[in-house]
Amino acid sequence: MIGEERDELIEQVAQVFAPLPRVNARATAQIMAAVRARAALRPSRLRLLLGSLREPSISMAAAGVLAAAALVIGFFTGDRVGVIDSTPAPVQVASNSVVAPLQHVDNSPDARMSNAVPVSIVFEARNAKSVTIVGDFNNWDETTSPLRRFGADGPWTVTVRATPGRHVYAFLVDGTTLVADPRAPRARDLDYGGDASVLMVTAP
Amino acid sequence: MISNRFGSYFVRSAVAVLVALGARSAVAQDARLTLIRDDATRDVVRQVLGAAIARGMPSDPLMSKALEGVAKKATPKRIREAMNALEGRMRRANELLAPTRSVDEMAAGADALYAGVPEKTLKLMRAAAPNRPIAMELGVLTEMVANGVPPKQASKMLLDLMAHGATGAQLTALGSAVQGDVAAGLKPDVALDLRGRGVMSLLPPPPSVNSLNPRGRP
Repeated sequence: MIGEERDELIEQVAQVFAPLPRVNARATAQIMAAVRARAALRPSRLRLLLGSLREPSISMAAAGVLAAAALVIGFFTGDRVGVIDSTPAPVQVASNSVVAPLQHVDNSPDARMSNAVPVSIVFEARNAKSVTIVGDFNNWDETTSPLRRFGADGPWTVTVRATPGRHVYAFLVDGTTLVADPRAPRARDLDYGGDASVLMVTAP
Repeated sequence: MISNRFGSYFVRSAVAVLVALGARSAVAQDARLTLIRDDATRDVVRQVLGAAIARGMPSDPLMSKALEGVAKKATPKRIREAMNALEGRMRRANELLAPTRSVDEMAAGADALYAGVPEKTLKLMRAAAPNRPIAMELGVLTEMVANGVPPKQASKMLLDLMAHGATGAQLTALGSAVQGDVAAGLKPDVALDLRGRGVMSLLPPPPSVNSLNPRGRP
């Protein structure tokens, strides 16, 4: 019964698609000519790659060794190697867990920092000669965010840009000592230990 | 059959070589490596980072972890261990926060797992906000747990507030208030309960099943 219904359905579909219009041969020829012209102007990457392989700079023996090495690596790596942002399907990694490609999110540094908001931070250190702030928002780089003193012996201040979320930071006093911010919650760090603070940034 | 298998190995091999070369090139071009003055540490970071990139992991959080170690004068061995541990946590967070996620979310999820947030919570938070970033919410949760709030209680409160449409500013304020209360001597679970109720009272009730389906039909 079901088979008969399917056959009837297939026939109906076939009837709908049967009277397809004829393809205009002239239009087809024009399209193909344009495609050929474009291909002739800009060789594909594959052609360039193959062309470079024909250069005398690499011998057949060297190519054979490279291919053999690639085969050996591939044999041992099997399915365990993946490339992020390259294929829509999940790829395997060494621990047999799946690292799915990052989708729908622009993870470039510029895009991420476009969400960053300015945050002003104040620090009291009367006897310090120099203070810089280091944290995950500036790659822990002591040269990017020096604090400026407010007045002769006033507090030190700086404005940094950080993306919404939780950040960890500390002050580097006189280029030698890392000090946590006494005004902020402490960050527990089991990896390295040491003093650091937490900065929570909210989206505007 | 054999030729197909051979071809498959060849393609995988080619991809593996290209990925390894690409990862090595990406690491070599990373200007942040110049911030590491010690040769041994730089070699370790380059090695760990290259392997992680080849496995499809984002480099920024790992590099940041490495540079944090440099700033804290950690040994190369310690930095290697910290980077490897972070990579493992990020991989797990990536799985739990799928399918929509960002590098910031992966890092925030890794921090949450590190603080003791249950894995199930990350999945539930993604389900509660499938189309918007939740790095900030994860950060608030991490801080609450770090302040001593029981992970399950903190997770439930955050999820309830998210379901009622609490804003990022409200959640951040909640975290700060709880942190202040705990610092003042209040028990963490009591502080969260009190402050959480306060925020909840400001929010409209979530749409009920009946309001979405007034006739009550399935």
